Amino acid sequence: MKKEFYLGIDVGSVSTNLVLLNSQRELVYRDYLRTMGQPIRVVQQGLKNLKDKMGKINIAGAGATGSGRKLAGIMIGADVVKNEITTHAVAALDANPAVSTILEIGGQDSKIIMLRDGIVSDFAMNTVCAAGTGSFLDRQAARLQIPIEEFGDLALNSKTEVRVAGRCAVFAETDMIHKQQLGHRVEDIVYGLCQALVRNYLNNLGKGKDIKPSVLFQGGVAANRGIREAFRRELGMEIEVPPHYDVMGAIGAALIAKDAVRRERRTSFRGLDVSECQFGVRPIECKGCANMCEIIEIVKDGAGIACWGDRCGKWSSRISKYA
Amino acid sequence: MKPRVGIPRALLYYNYFPMWEAFFKELGAEVVLSDLTNKKILDDGVNCSVDDACLPIKVFHGHIINLKDRVDYLFVPRLISVERNEYICPKFCGLPDMVLNSVRELPTVIDCTINLRNSYSSLRKAVLDVGRLFTSDYRRIYMAYRKAAQNLKFFEELMENGATPLEAMRGCHSAKGEYRYPIGLIGHPYNIYDNYVSMRIIDKLRDRGINVITQDMICSTELDRIARGFSKPMFWSFGKRIMAASRYLIDERQARGIIYLVAFGCGLDALVGDLVERRIRKRGIPFCLLTIDEHTGEAGIDTRLEAFVDMLEWGGAKECL
Repeated sequence: MKKEFYLGIDVGSVSTNLVLLNSQRELVYRDYLRTMGQPIRVVQQGLKNLKDKMGKINIAGAGATGSGRKLAGIMIGADVVKNEITTHAVAALDANPAVSTILEIGGQDSKIIMLRDGIVSDFAMNTVCAAGTGSFLDRQAARLQIPIEEFGDLALNSKTEVRVAGRCAVFAETDMIHKQQLGHRVEDIVYGLCQALVRNYLNNLGKGKDIKPSVLFQGGVAANRGIREAFRRELGMEIEVPPHYDVMGAIGAALIAKDAVRRERRTSFRGLDVSECQFGVRPIECKGCANMCEIIEIVKDGAGIACWGDRCGKWSSRISKYA
Repeated sequence: MKPRVGIPRALLYYNYFPMWEAFFKELGAEVVLSDLTNKKILDDGVNCSVDDACLPIKVFHGHIINLKDRVDYLFVPRLISVERNEYICPKFCGLPDMVLNSVRELPTVIDCTINLRNSYSSLRKAVLDVGRLFTSDYRRIYMAYRKAAQNLKFFEELMENGATPLEAMRGCHSAKGEYRYPIGLIGHPYNIYDNYVSMRIIDKLRDRGINVITQDMICSTELDRIARGFSKPMFWSFGKRIMAASRYLIDERQARGIIYLVAFGCGLDALVGDLVERRIRKRGIPFCLLTIDEHTGEAGIDTRLEAFVDMLEWGGAKECL
């Protein structure tokens, strides 16, 4: 029998991740790409990379997640299209069945997920503000001309505490400039920023939540050792970073897909050749009513395969799922 | 020709429209409604109203613009209190002033004052004052008011049987489907029932087989009974209903979770939201606070709703892993 693999795709605002799990739920392939505002191209690129690397393999199921999950799901014919909370929780439970708290900080959003006895019992996502997420760190790193990869390690060299305001990205930046002008050392400021971000995160998302060990820290920002350290000190408990912390969403999607396929006994995955299809979008401004919905039609090889963006269902109901 | 009275489909439309409609109709007026909230109404409202108003107030302004050129009168009552010793949000008290200040070229605005905090006498005065615009026959005004009150009662009964206001206004009972379990949806009526503002939250939940129960689907006497048990009286009528409903939903209706839809910038929601959340969390019931404002994308709300429902159902479907 041919080996079976399960594909998970997480299309986020900043990065798009692909993972491949084998039937023992082990990760056999991973790819981390920058979305760069072009989710269709990047999904195709990801599939192409996968095909080049793994050759002809039997993908028995596929799942999509992330803010671009709907688009990715339609493109690849995913068996499941799941929200980020559920996929992150599923992946974390697979990595550590005793997990109680998941801290997740991604490119433009952050979430906290509480679990009790292996079941999600509560969660929160950042609301109107993206301060303290990966994009903000990216930007500050660029401003200080420090490669983002070294940002966290630099923070660990800090000897003196410097307090940076973390409530708002704009104020934080002003504060940092001010501290620089006063002559504070860069590593102290960088660690101050890490602390500010953690404080902001815990105030916003952790408010009123009972954070218990084991704590798993995942998402792209978990790479930053300065933030890990700030979390460890602020919470007073060990923070575990799973080996594949940056692709947990995709892993969760693949796990859920595996389960769905087992139940359905079939997959709707279109195959890796999707990377060679011509995908496009056709924007339509519906003039049917005063809502003027901005409809997007997804086109594959010249034929519409999905439509969304309408409030009344006039367009989205025209094309049935995975036509 | 019949005088045309315009009623904006916003704010307390969802609480009182059947009453207002009957009253004006009985007085021989034609009732004209604004369109259902749409993008243009929202944009117009945001552009013309003061910056720091909350989303529902902005939406209300949009409805005024939508209506103003089609009617002889605009009905914008000044509501201060709708129940004894209670208030509603102060923005309702200044609503006619805000509208007059922000929107130009308005038809006559009917801005009768309703303040039932101390006594019902202001209601009587309001009814007579408004009635006299259309007829000098006091008996007719009285009969119109009676009809209006009857309609309101009938409307509220339909809602207490599980209909949303829009369903009840069509005179139909709730869309009784095969629901798997109940959850509570609480918040200001003008946020949860306006399909544009709430992004069809009720339909989305019902489509997933969930029985959505709102505070208006619970008998008012029950809510009052619970409210009397509060450690301190809640002096906001809506806040009281929301808080009492959250308890009733958990204790009497076995709601598996509670969703509170709040408008960004609402002072009342900020306070009541926290009180409700603490109480619900103590009981170990899943709670989800959804914030909406004019920039809210549907994707954000959908993700949270989806995750919340997944969470509620996860316990029952452990084979998920």
